[in-house]
Amino acid sequence: MATNEVSTRKKISQFFWRSWAIQDSWNYERQMNMGFMYGIAPTIDRCYPNADKDPEQMERKKEAYRRHMAFYNCTPQTSAFVLGLSASMEEELAEDPKAFDPDAINAMKTSLMGPLSGIGDSFFQGTIRVIAFGLGVSLAKQGSFLGPVLAMVISIIPSVLVTWFGAKLGYEGGRDFLEKMQHGDLMDRVMYVCGIVGLMAIGGMVATLIGATAPATFVNGTVKIQKILDGIMPQMISLALAGLMYWLIKKNVKSGWILAICIFGGILLSVLGILA
Amino acid sequence: MNMFVSALLVGLVSVFCMLDSRLLGRLNFEQPLIGATLVGVVLGDPMTGLAVGAATELVSMGLVQVGAAVPADMVLGGIIASAFACLTGATAETAMTIAVPVAVLGQLLGIVFRSVIAVLGHVADAAIEEGDFKKARSMHIVVGTILYSLMYFVPTFFAILLGTDLVKSIVSFIPAWLTTGLNVATKLLTAYGLALLLSLSLKKGMGAFFFIGFLLAAYLKLSVTAVSLLGVAAAIVLMDLKFGHKVAATGGGTTALPASDDYDPLEDDE
Repeated sequence: MATNEVSTRKKISQFFWRSWAIQDSWNYERQMNMGFMYGIAPTIDRCYPNADKDPEQMERKKEAYRRHMAFYNCTPQTSAFVLGLSASMEEELAEDPKAFDPDAINAMKTSLMGPLSGIGDSFFQGTIRVIAFGLGVSLAKQGSFLGPVLAMVISIIPSVLVTWFGAKLGYEGGRDFLEKMQHGDLMDRVMYVCGIVGLMAIGGMVATLIGATAPATFVNGTVKIQKILDGIMPQMISLALAGLMYWLIKKNVKSGWILAICIFGGILLSVLGILA
Repeated sequence: MNMFVSALLVGLVSVFCMLDSRLLGRLNFEQPLIGATLVGVVLGDPMTGLAVGAATELVSMGLVQVGAAVPADMVLGGIIASAFACLTGATAETAMTIAVPVAVLGQLLGIVFRSVIAVLGHVADAAIEEGDFKKARSMHIVVGTILYSLMYFVPTFFAILLGTDLVKSIVSFIPAWLTTGLNVATKLLTAYGLALLLSLSLKKGMGAFFFIGFLLAAYLKLSVTAVSLLGVAAAIVLMDLKFGHKVAATGGGTTALPASDDYDPLEDDE
């Protein structure tokens, strides 16, 4: 079969690099659609090698390209899994056009992009990035170049592993794996662990990264407000500020307004001597 | 160093950071800490770059890019602020007064740009109809790369080339109360960023974990890394309680599986 001319390893490395490049033409309309088309293009080209001579193959090839121009948006690293899976489905479809309804490919993509972005974003943006750059910033503040270097090392390793094994699982495991994820509770378990670690890290960051204090003193400087507050609960003001911001977000206050409140409110509170 | 060369170098750093999320799946080179430090390195003042990087990273810490939402562009802010600090000798705190307005401008630019390049998709649609698949692919991988690079290179290059003296004179007029005030403002922005992250991560009944993380760091002075590692350990223990132990799941352990009727013992062999 023509589709087997290229080694699996080569295919997986194609999925790997092309998932990373999936945001190269990100736009508001169909977001990563061209990225996905670009990712699956080598597979389609391999599936229909005689398209230039055979008008029927040409039509099917066009149809496949068109199919992957549909809206798509998912974390690049977890997209490798979707890309591998779609490629295995495209190959199956090319071999036997009546194997299944071609719409199943896009249905699968659509159903996966939600949960996989959820996992991907909470893992890479919510957990890995937070840990890497939380650590990186604390070292950088002490003037150590280990900060940015360590932040990158912590960021890159999980990214490479998830993309590579995602592509491999998607392509080789195909729909078996898909069914396993849906029927078993593996997905829920992953989401649960990400949720706990992410939340605890955010809590820790509220306590360590904001560092707002109350500079006011009374009775000739012998009564220090901050000292009293620290006696009750350290970093109380930081927690209160984060709580206030959270409340504003939940009230659906527009981000532009909140940015304005932060900037002008911060200056005002500083001038009044309330916050430092 | 010649100002043209400096502008060119900073522009190239900004392109590198932008292409991280375009071509490398966002490995996090596109972060203020990395961008600002790299600017410090190419301009021969890595310590200043690192300091500005740490300050801008703190502000952007929680600003996650999820789906279509574009947060204030602290990467662009950090790069330009770092360049100004390195070229004018301003402190990291003063540089922050440049970073925040640049970040807001960068955000606006990003929204306009990402709306306009939707046109490329329509060009690719037409190319596919004509059977010109190479053209369709290059809309993504060639034109997309070039346009995204220019979107960062052009503003950075001209800001450095034309603006240093101008910005320097503006900065020297900034009164002390404004600088300390903006310092408090960046603390509020950090709180906002973390609250945004919290609003994305917080699910029903999970709020206690946020407070546990906070209390561990506030009272026990644990680092974020220590808190995260404790989180992993706690999550593993709690996962068994919530989902039932792998072996106990069939025997109707503490928690029954919701989908226990189509339970397959082989599925749990992962």
